[in-house]
Amino acid sequence: MLIPAVPVLDVSDIQATVLRPRPSPYRGEYVVLRIDDAAQGREMLRRMIPRVAPADEWWLPTLPGWLGIAFTHEGLKALGVPQESLDSFPVEFRQGMAARAAILHDFGDDAPPNWEYPFGTADMHVALAIYANDEQNLTKVLERARQSHADLPHISVVYRMQFGELPGGRNPFGFRDGLHNPHVEGSVAEGAVTPTRNAYEAAIKAGEFIMGYPDESGATATSPVPEDLRHNGTFLAFRKFHMDVAAFRKYLRSVASSPAEEELIAAKMVGRWRSGAPLVLAAESDDPKLGADQNRNNDFSYQTDMKGLKCPFSAHMRRVNPRDALKDDIVAVNLHHFLRRGTNFGLPLPDGVLEDDGAERGGVFLLIGAHLRQQFEFVQSQWATDGNFISHGTEQDPLIGNNEGDGVFTIPQRPVRRRLHGLPRFVTVSGGEYCFMPGLRALGWLAALKS
Amino acid sequence: MANPSNKAASAMPMSQERPGLSAGQVQEFTLVSRLKPGGAQRMRQLFKGGFTGERQKNTDRIGTVHDLRFIIFDNDTRVIFASTFDGTWDTYIDDFGTKIPDEIDLLFHECEGYPGIHSPQIKDWIVDQQVTATAFYSAYPQATVRDVWKALKARSALGALLDQA
Repeated sequence: MLIPAVPVLDVSDIQATVLRPRPSPYRGEYVVLRIDDAAQGREMLRRMIPRVAPADEWWLPTLPGWLGIAFTHEGLKALGVPQESLDSFPVEFRQGMAARAAILHDFGDDAPPNWEYPFGTADMHVALAIYANDEQNLTKVLERARQSHADLPHISVVYRMQFGELPGGRNPFGFRDGLHNPHVEGSVAEGAVTPTRNAYEAAIKAGEFIMGYPDESGATATSPVPEDLRHNGTFLAFRKFHMDVAAFRKYLRSVASSPAEEELIAAKMVGRWRSGAPLVLAAESDDPKLGADQNRNNDFSYQTDMKGLKCPFSAHMRRVNPRDALKDDIVAVNLHHFLRRGTNFGLPLPDGVLEDDGAERGGVFLLIGAHLRQQFEFVQSQWATDGNFISHGTEQDPLIGNNEGDGVFTIPQRPVRRRLHGLPRFVTVSGGEYCFMPGLRALGWLAALKS
Repeated sequence: MANPSNKAASAMPMSQERPGLSAGQVQEFTLVSRLKPGGAQRMRQLFKGGFTGERQKNTDRIGTVHDLRFIIFDNDTRVIFASTFDGTWDTYIDDFGTKIPDEIDLLFHECEGYPGIHSPQIKDWIVDQQVTATAFYSAYPQATVRDVWKALKARSALGALLDQA
C-alpha cells in the first residue's frame, strides 16, 4: 500500500512560540520595539538570534523560558527588506490589523482609534514574546533580550506588558482555558510520547501553520519572496482584550433565577463549564474530573449534539472551532484553524464582586497560521461576529462578539428555544497587529541584509 | 473606488478590493465570458434538467446563493452568469475549491480562459470577467438565504399549529 509521505517539520528552524504550549503555570512579557535605523535594527537582530528558541521537542515541558520574535510590515521596512519582498506579502499583513477593522468588526469601543499605543500605529515594528515558568526565568530571558539593544540608541522599547497565569489556570471570567489546539501533521518525532489525541480530530497539514510544507489544499506557499525569508515562517494575529468580568457576572445575575442557573448560562455561552468540562460530554452540571483530564476534555464530536441542545450553536467554543458541527455545509473547516497561544493579564476580580473595580484584566492571544485571511480573519468575521453560518442571523459570539447592549444569545432547548437579549460587550479589543514570525535561518537572512 | 456608485459595495467589508454592488448584506454578481467553440451547445446539454434534483440539493448546501442564472447570447459565443448571494463570494471561494471543486468547474469550464478552481489565478480570473451592475435592487436586503428558509419553516410550523387549534 502506498502511504502518503508526511513532511517532517524542520522543528530546529521553527520558532518555539509557534508550536510550544505556554508553560503551566506561566509568566511572561510582550515587548514592542521600534527601529529608527536599519543597521542598528539588524545589529540588534544579529545579537538576538542566538536567544530565539527553536521548537525542538516542543511537546516536552523542558524549557524554563523562551523568546519569540516577530515583525510587522512596518518593521520589515525599517530593517531594510527590499521592496520586491515587502510587496510579496499578503495584503492583510501589508495593511496591518487596524486597516482591516471593517472586516474584523472592530467597531465602537473595539475600533483602532481606541486602541492602546502603539497598536494601530506605524511605531510597532518588532514584537517579542517571552514565556517563562517563573519570574526568575522571565527576568533572565528579558535581560538577554534587553542586552541585544541596550546600547543601540535607535532601537526603542515602545511597549511592555506583563502577563501571568491566574489561580487555577482560569481566565478572568473564571474558566479554564487554552485547552485546545489543532494537531500539526509531522510536528512530533516518531515514537514521542505526547498527550492523547482526540480520536475525532485528524491532524491538519503543516502548511496551514508553517510555510514550506503542503497545506490542506495541497499547495506550498510561494510568497513572500525569497524562499530564504519565508521557509519555516508563519504569521500571527496579536489581539489584546480587556475583559469586563463585572458586566459578565451582572448579566448572568439578571437573566438567571439561581446561582446554578447562572453557572449553566455561563457554560452555555462558553461551551464548557468552569472546570473545562465540555457541555457535549457533561450537559447537566460541571464535572471537574473531566475538565482536568486532558485525555478526555477534548474527546468529543458534535455529531451527538447536532441540535445544539447540549452545547448551543452560538457557544463561543463551538463557533471558533466547530470541529465536525458544520460537516453538512460547504465549508472546509480545516482551512480555518490557527494555533492559539492565549495568556491572561491582571488580577482576578474577587469572587462574588459585581461592581467593576476599574482594574485592567484580560487576555492576549497569539493566533498563529500561514493564512491570516482564511484563518484569523475568516473566523473573526464569519464565525465570531456573525450568526448566518448557524442560521442565527446577525447573532454574534456571546463572549467575544462586538455586542453593544443589544446582543442576543440563542440557547436551543425543548419545547422552545430560550433567547437571551440585551447582551453587553464583555470583551473589548484594546490592541492588535499582524506579525510575521520567520524561521531561525530567515532571521539570519534578515540580519544579513545590506543597506 | 473611482465610481461613486461602487460606494455601496465598499460598505461590505470583504469586497473592498472586488467588483459588484451590494444592498444591505446581499451582493449581485455578474460575470460575462466568451465561450469555447461548441461550448454553448455543451452547456445547454449540461443544464437541460435545470437546477432540479441532485443539482438543486447540492446548490442548496452552499446556503448563501439566492438565485443564479446562465444566459447564452451573442450568437452562442458568450455567456452571462448572474447571481445574488449573501456576503461576498471570495470569503468562501477556498472552501468551494476544497468541498465542491468539480461542481464549480462544471459551471465554468466552457468559459474561455477558465483556469480551474484550484488555480492560484482563479480569483483574478473571476474579477476580470466580472461586470459591476449599474444599479441593484433587493426587496429584502437584510435577509440571508438562511433567514428566508428559517422564516418559511416557522410560517409552516405556525400554520400547522393554528390549523390544529
